[in-house]
Amino acid sequence: MPKHEFFVDMTCEGCLNAVTRVLNKLGDVQFEIDLPNKKVSIDSTHSVDTLLDTLKKTGKNTSYLGEK
Amino acid sequence: MDPSSGARSIVVQVEGMTCSSCVQTIEQHIGELNGVHVIKVSLDEKSATIVYNPKEQTPQSLQEAIEDMGFDAVLGNTNSQS
Repeated sequence: MPKHEFFVDMTCEGCLNAVTRVLNKLGDVQFEIDLPNKKVSIDSTHSVDTLLDTLKKTGKNTSYLGEK
Repeated sequence: MDPSSGARSIVVQVEGMTCSSCVQTIEQHIGELNGVHVIKVSLDEKSATIVYNPKEQTPQSLQEAIEDMGFDAVLGNTNSQS
């Protein structure tokens, strides 16, 4: 399954926790968060649009970087 | 705030904010919702004070909006006149 990489403008632990929570709420996702590089890689059967919408719920700048 | 407009204010306890950027994103995001007049988030007190129009928002809907963003929100004191 392809891993999707997203840029999320996280600045602190709290931002990271917020991203973790919204992704866990969506369910059916495996993800790794790279705080220093502001990247989130997600392994999921959800579409890129669904994942992007979910990440945007945190209110942070988010963009899709592509498959890894 | 003009009381005749029917605006109400609530205090929501928000857990999980650790820096001022969390505060800003909450203020921006919740502030954009329909019916939200004023939002003031305090990092020290871990709370958000929201003045809203009860016709468009309820304490529950505001709480959900904050939880959707990935924070823990617990309703605190309400100053509603009802």
